[in-house]
Amino acid sequence: MMRRDNGVVAILSLLALFKQGACHTLPGKPKLTSCRSPDKETFTCWWEPGSDGGLPTTYGLSYSKENSDTVYECPDYRTAGQNSCFFNKNDTSIWVNYNITVVATNALGRTFSDPVDVDVIYIVQPHTPENVSVAVLEDTEVPFLRVSWNPPHKADTRSGWITLIYELRVKLKGEEEWEEHYAGQQKIFNIFSLRSGGVYMIEVRCKPDHGFWSEWSTATYVRIPNYIPREHSMWILTGTFSAFLFIILACILSLKRQSVKHCFLPPVPGPKIKGFDNQLLKNGKSEEVFNALVIQGFPPTSSDYEDLLVEYLEVYVSEEQELIMQEGKALQDSCLKSKISSSDSDSGRGSCDSHTLLMEKCGEGTAREEEEDSGRKEGSSQTQRQPVWENMEEADSQAMEIHSPDSSDGRVNTWPSVFSPNLQCSPGPSEHGLTETTRQLYLSDSLFSTSANPLHSELGGILLGKNPPPSLPPWRLEAHSEFKISSMESKRPATGQQLPPSKSLEYVEVQRVNRENMLVLQPLSRHSQEPFQVQFATTREDYSKVKGVVSDSVLLLQREMVDDQCTCDDQEREWPEEGWHADSTNQPEGKMEIHTTVTPAQELGIFLAPSGYVDTATMLPTL
Amino acid sequence: MRPVWFAILAIVCSEVPLRAGSAPICAQNGAVCHSLPLADLLDRVIQQSARVQGISNDLHSEFEQHFPPSRNQIRRQKCHTYNILTPDGKENAQRLAREELTEVILRLLGAWGDPLSQLHHRMAQQDQEGEQEEEEKQNDFNPLSSNRALEMSDMVEELRNGVERVAEKMQLLGVISNTLRDLSSPDALVSSSSSFSKRSEFNVMDHQDLLYCFRRDSNKVQSFLRILKCTILTEQNC
Repeated sequence: MMRRDNGVVAILSLLALFKQGACHTLPGKPKLTSCRSPDKETFTCWWEPGSDGGLPTTYGLSYSKENSDTVYECPDYRTAGQNSCFFNKNDTSIWVNYNITVVATNALGRTFSDPVDVDVIYIVQPHTPENVSVAVLEDTEVPFLRVSWNPPHKADTRSGWITLIYELRVKLKGEEEWEEHYAGQQKIFNIFSLRSGGVYMIEVRCKPDHGFWSEWSTATYVRIPNYIPREHSMWILTGTFSAFLFIILACILSLKRQSVKHCFLPPVPGPKIKGFDNQLLKNGKSEEVFNALVIQGFPPTSSDYEDLLVEYLEVYVSEEQELIMQEGKALQDSCLKSKISSSDSDSGRGSCDSHTLLMEKCGEGTAREEEEDSGRKEGSSQTQRQPVWENMEEADSQAMEIHSPDSSDGRVNTWPSVFSPNLQCSPGPSEHGLTETTRQLYLSDSLFSTSANPLHSELGGILLGKNPPPSLPPWRLEAHSEFKISSMESKRPATGQQLPPSKSLEYVEVQRVNRENMLVLQPLSRHSQEPFQVQFATTREDYSKVKGVVSDSVLLLQREMVDDQCTCDDQEREWPEEGWHADSTNQPEGKMEIHTTVTPAQELGIFLAPSGYVDTATMLPTL
Repeated sequence: MRPVWFAILAIVCSEVPLRAGSAPICAQNGAVCHSLPLADLLDRVIQQSARVQGISNDLHSEFEQHFPPSRNQIRRQKCHTYNILTPDGKENAQRLAREELTEVILRLLGAWGDPLSQLHHRMAQQDQEGEQEEEEKQNDFNPLSSNRALEMSDMVEELRNGVERVAEKMQLLGVISNTLRDLSSPDALVSSSSSFSKRSEFNVMDHQDLLYCFRRDSNKVQSFLRILKCTILTEQNC
């Protein structure tokens, strides 16, 4: 019976166990998860319970200290919450190794966890920093953030028990990446380079020098006020300034449009025709346009031509004068040279130029000027000239008388060569300067040039030239202009005389001028005064220069050569000597044409016809 | 003759001011640093102890990597400095007088001079042996460990000197009384080191335990120094 009862009880207990539907076992092994101390004075341990084994399980924590076998029970299970054990200050020993074990107990038994060694100094994890405040401050109009906080109140940093180091992180609201900053032991931190108008989140945490980081504090939000970043303000300033400059520049350019245009696009110089009037052309009247182009005085008419010519006549008076002249040659030369050096644009003429120049050089007298003026008159009428002519004629005799002591009749030397060294201003027996005579010579040239009638002018010039005031000494007139020498009706036989070829100057004496505009020439010679009539007939354009007379009837003509090898005394002529070349024009005009000779060495004989004309047509082989 | 005299005079004159003026801030060999204020001295000492603590931490963690703490049970041996009574909490530490605190610090530092040098020697020996016997686990030391042990030993020595200077300065300033025992006396040294050398477990104690103990003690030293500083100086400097 008893055995049957025990068996029934066992069966019934087994059945009861089965009825519960759980397999009751020992509780599972709990696990100590972590122990932490916020202030290095207390600490808390948490565990994780294992399976309960189907039975109500109680957990307990037991610990023992280093070098002691006493086992203590956890003093406080509640303060820290479920499954925790809180060790207060009294129970906490620093620098002491705790051996902690959690035990789970249920009806069936107890289960111990693995023991854990804990030293409080190594498990310190403070709370988060408190009172995190963020202030927006301005640093020269650029805002920045100043974050300040306090240590967790539990951590005693004031006594130096705990030393905390801090860290904070910042990010824009909506972004994902945090920007972390290490703050050390300080409790204030500045953040710069913020976006204008942005909202920032800031968090702070701390850690003891050897321990764990605290949790991040709750985020503090801050809004940055709108401001213009320094770089932007600089760009704005630069931009406005340059725009301002640009506007000013544009205004200036528009005002000075023309000059700018001229500078960058220089106008292509167009042809300018003097007298060409665009307006007339536009008006469509071509006649007027072309008429406007006509320049008065071009082409130069015969009347004008003489204006361009300066004609010289040299009148050689006497030997003594010649000597004197030679003395004064230097002076003369200077005068001449000055005259010569001046360029002469007229062809067919010696470069000895305007009488005015020479006159200036050699001095001027009022009398000359008068004569000059009178001579210069552009009288086109011959009648004007006639009286002059007549006057001249008269004066001629007078002059001739006056100035040549040797020769009673004034002789005019028509000098074909442009530069006769000897020409020129004969000083005269008296103190009258060479210059004066020269002036006179040139004066006559002007007279020549102004005369409408070339012949008249020439002759007039000659005569005029011979017409010095009574006080004047014998003078010389140099003539280099072209001559129109009309055929002479003279009755006088023209006798050629030979002049010494060594002398560069060879004079032909104008004995007289007759009405037919003929120069009665006579070769000058000291020894003989036979008149020699040489008549030159040259056209306007053609002239020949008589270099000298070789024999009685031979004229040395000079060829038109630039480099004259004039045998003029030693003096170099720099200017081109104009050789006159005479075209062979028709004879019937009664004019002779003489062709220039070639070289001084060459002597061409000119044979005078019985009529007195010189016919060179036969004697120019070279031409 | 005269220039020679002048030269000698000049040399002498130049040398004298050098000697008089060039007083080092903290001269070596036990000279008292008078020129630095106490706060700066304490800061320097604290920095030094921080460095020591850093090195000890590194070494210990290195050991733990090489030798996992499977030998927890064995580490029941007491550190040789256990007989040095130290406050085990903040209140206890604050209750201590400055003189006592200073004394504790100096004791701790003094107790570790010898062991550290011995540790370095042993580690160096093992490194040499390790070169010959590469298969032994025990010799699986990072060659740098022995150097670090040497460095640590030197630093502790410097730290101790520094704390001594601080103590002298404090006594000079009247911050603490002159009841401080002269810890540099041979008696103190002998007592601390002898306790260590006498321990039979010294040879058994492996490096890991030593390092563990030293790590803790360096932390103690630093904590005590900080408390000392904060009690001496005003709150602002703490």
